[in-house]
Amino acid sequence: MRVLDRSWQDRGVLLNSLPLLTLLTLFFIGPILLTLLLTFQEMRSYQLQWVWSLRVWSEVFSKYSYWVVIGRTVSMAFLSTFLCILIAYPAAYALATRLKNYASHIQILIIFSFLTDAVLKTFGWVLVLDRNGIGNWLLQHLGLGDEALNFLFTPRATLLGVVYNLSVYPLFTIYLSLKRIDRDLILAAYDAGASKWQTFREVTLPLSRPGLYAGAVLVFVLTLGTFLESKVLGGGKSPLAPELIRQTFETRVNWPLGAALTVVLVAIATIVLAVAVRLVQRTRQEQAAKGAEA
Amino acid sequence: MSQPIIDSRSISKNYGSFRALTDISLTIRKGEFIALVGPSGCGKTSFLKILAGFEQASSGELFIEDREMSDVPAAARPTRMVFQKLALFPHKTVEENISFPLRIAKVPAAERAERVRGMMDLMHLRHEYLTHYPAQLSGGEQQRVALARALVSRPGVLLLDEPMSALDAKLKKSLQAELKKLHRELGTSFVLVTHDLEEAMMLADRICVMVGGRIVQLGVPLDIYRRPANRFVAGFIGETNFLPVSVASTADGLSVRPLRGDQTAALLGADRVSPEAHGDAGLLLIRPEDGEILSGAPSPGMWTIAGTVDEKFTKGSSTQYRIRTEALDVPFVLESSGFDTAHIPVGAPVSVGFHPAKSYLLGDRP
Repeated sequence: MRVLDRSWQDRGVLLNSLPLLTLLTLFFIGPILLTLLLTFQEMRSYQLQWVWSLRVWSEVFSKYSYWVVIGRTVSMAFLSTFLCILIAYPAAYALATRLKNYASHIQILIIFSFLTDAVLKTFGWVLVLDRNGIGNWLLQHLGLGDEALNFLFTPRATLLGVVYNLSVYPLFTIYLSLKRIDRDLILAAYDAGASKWQTFREVTLPLSRPGLYAGAVLVFVLTLGTFLESKVLGGGKSPLAPELIRQTFETRVNWPLGAALTVVLVAIATIVLAVAVRLVQRTRQEQAAKGAEA
Repeated sequence: MSQPIIDSRSISKNYGSFRALTDISLTIRKGEFIALVGPSGCGKTSFLKILAGFEQASSGELFIEDREMSDVPAAARPTRMVFQKLALFPHKTVEENISFPLRIAKVPAAERAERVRGMMDLMHLRHEYLTHYPAQLSGGEQQRVALARALVSRPGVLLLDEPMSALDAKLKKSLQAELKKLHRELGTSFVLVTHDLEEAMMLADRICVMVGGRIVQLGVPLDIYRRPANRFVAGFIGETNFLPVSVASTADGLSVRPLRGDQTAALLGADRVSPEAHGDAGLLLIRPEDGEILSGAPSPGMWTIAGTVDEKFTKGSSTQYRIRTEALDVPFVLESSGFDTAHIPVGAPVSVGFHPAKSYLLGDRP
C-alpha cells in the first residue's frame, strides 16, 4: 500500500513503468482519444470536416434505433456471460476435482479446440444448424421431430456461437481459482458438519470468485465486440453494435457517428470492468489470508 | 473415564498396493488425552483421517460413541479436527470462522454469539479480533481460533493433526500448556498426532507409538520412557545408552553381564525385561540420568565403567557429559544434576556407575 501512496513521486517507479506507459499511450489511450476527438467532427458529402460540433452526439442520443442495437448487444453480453459461466463453472469444477487425474489431457484438448480458428468453428455451426444440416439429420434419426433446429440466422444462433466460442475463457479462469483452494478448507467444512452443498456455497464458491469475475468480465467485454458470430450465424436481421459500427464506417461512411457509437460501447465495457475490479478487490482483501497463512 | 469413546477394531488401510495401516486396534476412553506418535509415514495421520471420516478404512471396524462409523460421513461424526495448517476460512472473519459449525447446526444467532464469545475468552483471544480476518492474526492467535472453531460445538472427540509443528519453540511451549489445561477443563477426549515424543509425553495420558503402520507400543508416558517396546522406541525420545550384555537364565530370573569388562552378573526382575528380549544377548537401556560419576567407592550392586570425558554441555539445571568408554562404541551419555561434578573438565578420567537392576533389558535386534 505504501508503494501506491508515493508512486508518483518516486522516479524509479516512473522510470520502470515508462515502457508500459509508452505502449499503452501509443496503442490504447492514443487511439481512444483520437476516436473521442472524431466524435466532435462532421461528415459532409463523404468528406471529414474538422469542425467542432455536438451534432453527432445529439444524433446518437436522439435516435432510438441506435439504442435498440446497443441494448440488444448489452443484453446479449449479459446473457452470454450468464450462459458461459453456467457452462464453464461445472466444467471447471469437474476438471479441478473429479477429473483431476485427466486434467492435463483435457486441457490439451480444450487448448487445441481453442486455437482452431474461430471463423472455421463458427461456419461449422452453420453445417450443424442448417435446415438440412447434421443437427436436424441427427434429431430426425433419433425421432425427435423434423427440423427441430430452425433457429439458424436468428439472434439465438448468434448467442449459441458466442457462448461456444467464449466459454473457454471462464473455464480456465475458474479452473485456476478452484485449483488454488486448499483441500483442507473443504475438509474443514465437512468436519464442521457442512453438507456438500453448504461447503460449496460457504467455501468453494466464495474462494473461486476471483476467477469467476475475471471470466465473466472477459466474456462480457468480448461479447460486446462480437462481430463474427452475428454475421455468420445471426443472419444480419437484428445486428449487434459492432456490426452497426462497421456499417456506419464502411457503408454510410460516417466516421464521427461510428466513433461515437464506439465510444458508447467502450464506456459500457469500462463501467462493467470497473464494477468487476471493485468486486475482485473486495474478495482479494478478504482472501489476503492465503499468503499470510502459508 | 473408563467408558470407551473410540473403539478401533483391527483397522487396516491400503492405498493401492501400499499398506498404510495394519491391524490397528485401539480403545480411547472418554475424556482421555491420547497421543499418536511416530516418524513421518508411520500411518498416524492416516489413522486420524479415518477417525475424522475423511478416509475409509480398507478393513476393520470403527466405533465412536458406540456407533459403527463405516456409513457415517465426516459431517455427522462427533469428532472435530484441528488441521496441521489450521485451515481457517480466509474469506471469513474470526467470528464467522468460529461460529461456522454452530451456524451449520442451526444454532440461534443469539446463542451463537454468546458461545463464540465464550470460546474467545477460553482461548484468551481479545474480542476486538472478532471482526478480523485470519490473515490479520499472528500464528499463535490463528492457532487459538482454529481450536475455538473445533471446540465451539462441544465435540466428543477433538482430533489434532500436529497443529503446533509450525510454531516457534517458545510459543509451542505456552500453547502446549494451554492445551493441557483446556483438556482438563473441558473433559473432551483429545487425540493428538505428533512426531514429537517429548510433546506427547508432556501432554498425553497415554501414548500410542506407531511404526510402519502398526502400533508398536501403547502405554502411559513413563512406561514408554522407562520400558520401551524396542530399541527404536527407546531412541525416539531423549538420549539413551545401550549397553550390550550377555544374558543367562537362572533359577532366580535373568542374569546379565556386560559383553566387555569384568563385572559381576546382575539379576533382573521380570518387570525389567522387555517381552521381546530373548536368547543369550541383549541391550541394557540406561537413561542419561541413571548414571553417575563416581567420586568414591561404588554402592553395592553397581556396575562401573571407566572412561574419559569427551564432551561436556552445561544445561543450567544439569550438566551433560559424553564419556568415551571401553565398553561402548559410542560415548556414554550421562546427565548429572549434582553440583559436585560440575567442575570435571573435558579429558579427565572418570568412573561411571549405575545400577543394572534399575535398567531395562531389550532384545539386541534393532
